[in-house]
Amino acid sequence: MKDMILLAYRDINERKARTVLTILGIAVGIAAVIALISVGYGFRQSVTSELVEMGDLIMVLPGEASWGEYMELGRFNDRDLKDVERISGVQEAAAMASRAEEVEYRGERKMVNVIGVEPQDIDVIFGDIVNTEEGKGGRGLRDNDHRACQIGYSIANDYFDEEIRVNDRLNIGGKKFRVVGILEKQGGFKAGVDSGIFVTRRDAKSILGNDDISEIWVKIRNIAEAEGIADEIEERIDENHKLDDFASAMTMGSAIEQLNTVFGLLQAVLVAIASISLIVASMGIINTMLMSVMERTHEIGVMKAIGAKNRNVLSLFLVEAGLVSAAGGVLGCVLGVIGAYVICMCISTQFGMNIPAMVQPGVMLGGLGVAVLVGILSGLYPAGKASKMSPVEAVRYE
Amino acid sequence: MIRAEHLSKVYRMGKIEVPALREVNLEIEEGEFLAIVGASGSGKSTLLNMLGCLDKPTSGAIFIDGVNTASLSENELAGIRREKIGFIFQQFNLIHSLNAVENVSLPMFFAGVSSDERMKRAAELLIKVGLRERMHHKPAELSGGQQQRVAIARALSNNPEIIIGDEPTGNVDSKTGDAIMAILKELNHEGRTLIVVTHDAEIAAHAPRVIRMRDGRLLEQ
Ligand SMILES: Nc1ncnc2c1ncn2[C@@H]1O[C@H](COP(=O)(O)OP(=O)(O)OP(=O)(O)O)[C@@H](O)[C@H]1O
Ligand SMILES: [Mg+2]
Repeated sequence: MKDMILLAYRDINERKARTVLTILGIAVGIAAVIALISVGYGFRQSVTSELVEMGDLIMVLPGEASWGEYMELGRFNDRDLKDVERISGVQEAAAMASRAEEVEYRGERKMVNVIGVEPQDIDVIFGDIVNTEEGKGGRGLRDNDHRACQIGYSIANDYFDEEIRVNDRLNIGGKKFRVVGILEKQGGFKAGVDSGIFVTRRDAKSILGNDDISEIWVKIRNIAEAEGIADEIEERIDENHKLDDFASAMTMGSAIEQLNTVFGLLQAVLVAIASISLIVASMGIINTMLMSVMERTHEIGVMKAIGAKNRNVLSLFLVEAGLVSAAGGVLGCVLGVIGAYVICMCISTQFGMNIPAMVQPGVMLGGLGVAVLVGILSGLYPAGKASKMSPVEAVRYE
Repeated sequence: MIRAEHLSKVYRMGKIEVPALREVNLEIEEGEFLAIVGASGSGKSTLLNMLGCLDKPTSGAIFIDGVNTASLSENELAGIRREKIGFIFQQFNLIHSLNAVENVSLPMFFAGVSSDERMKRAAELLIKVGLRERMHHKPAELSGGQQQRVAIARALSNNPEIIIGDEPTGNVDSKTGDAIMAILKELNHEGRTLIVVTHDAEIAAHAPRVIRMRDGRLLEQ
């Protein structure tokens, strides 16, 4: 075997340029697959860990939510909120009333998500991560605020031509509001905060014209009870509205599960697309090997004339294909890791999401294995062709 | 040792049939030195390829040590070429990417001889053909005569009983040719059967037995 590898290496060495191209072909395919898997895994990890951090929260929506689609069936009311608060194990329940409203700032109009929430509940829902920027950020909303709002980072900086500052005036749904605070940039799973305007529920009622609640966030005492409490919340609210399957309470655990299925599917599609480049690379190997077999017809004939068995010739060419593709695999692993980091860097500068590139050794090993497998499978036909050459035909060929 | 019976070979080129050998009967004894001469196109190489198991006859049979080669599989024929026959070509036919020792050890590699033993024997053989100083040279770095010596060493590597040369001196000058013939004659003296195709009457004169070919037939024996 060692000698076979040496022999194959000598032959490869004679055809450097073409071999390098073939190796690159394989490497690109493998790199694409490894990078996609690694970025996807990192993405999943970061989202999951964010959700795990919020493991003591249950999100309750008035409607059917599954497979990323959501159908709203109605609205909650204050009675629902009171009932949910009374369920044992529930620490706090926060109501949010939100709707897209027309917002005007210095003559410019935009549709923005306006969220009515009790000021102290902001912390319940989003944790203490959401703070106003020190100094220029202003202050948080207060219970007795009237016609005051706290705005997300993107609203302040990106939505309107002119930057919005603390104490600026906005016109929301035809009513004048004063900006009391600007929230810090959140990004990631809490990106919704960046593009929202927060007002007190009292003010929300005056804009929206009703007391309806569009979602309830529940903080529980013990994460282990999450599923049970979620079921009870659904039961209570359904009872209030005399409907079946009206409320859907989602624990972060089930959200993680759903996200994982969606991500898994998405990733499978991406990897399948990346695999096409492997098929192209495989054709590259077949082509290179066939050319090599043609060029070496004479040499193959000589080998057979001095006693090489078909099997010897076959394995010589298979080893050659294997070597080339293994080299491609190794290079692909390196490029894949670099690619994964580059993609993650791009995502973080473009979208402000911090995604770690998670390159698992198993994926690299798998990539290497796939490369060699593709190489050997692609080498099978040319090698078979070489091994079946007749010694005398080959010797005559010049 | 080698016996050909009613040996015929017809090459087909599309619709045209080229009879290269017609009903050749030949018996070669162990340890014999046989020269085959004849005009170009008379079928010398064709006959040699059959005797050396490189090609199969259209009809007729070849017996080597009593075994009918027609009954053998491709791998068994490869085995005969590897173990019993050493082939020397006019064009040397060395593997360009391998140096002299590696070329010589190649048949032993196919025979499954261990690496150490291969290198040892290859070196011995190269010394025997006078290439002590050229062991690690590639074919391109050797003269024609030196390449042919490497080819002879390669033919000897599995210690075959039969040495077959198709114009082994055809691509070297006459002085080098004489040296090559001297080596081949020496191998014959060691007891190996030697079959050589040649254009050179002088070389044929070395051989105790000469057969002449014309139009695919043997003329005299
Ligand atoms: N592979 C082949 N296909 C078709 N015809 C062939 C083939 N090999 C040989 N021939 C023909 O068979 C005849 C004998 O050829 P062969 O090579 O045996 O002659 P030769 O005596 O060795 O000639 P030379 O001295 O020129 O080498 C020639 O007419 C040649 O054209
Ligand atoms: Mg000839």
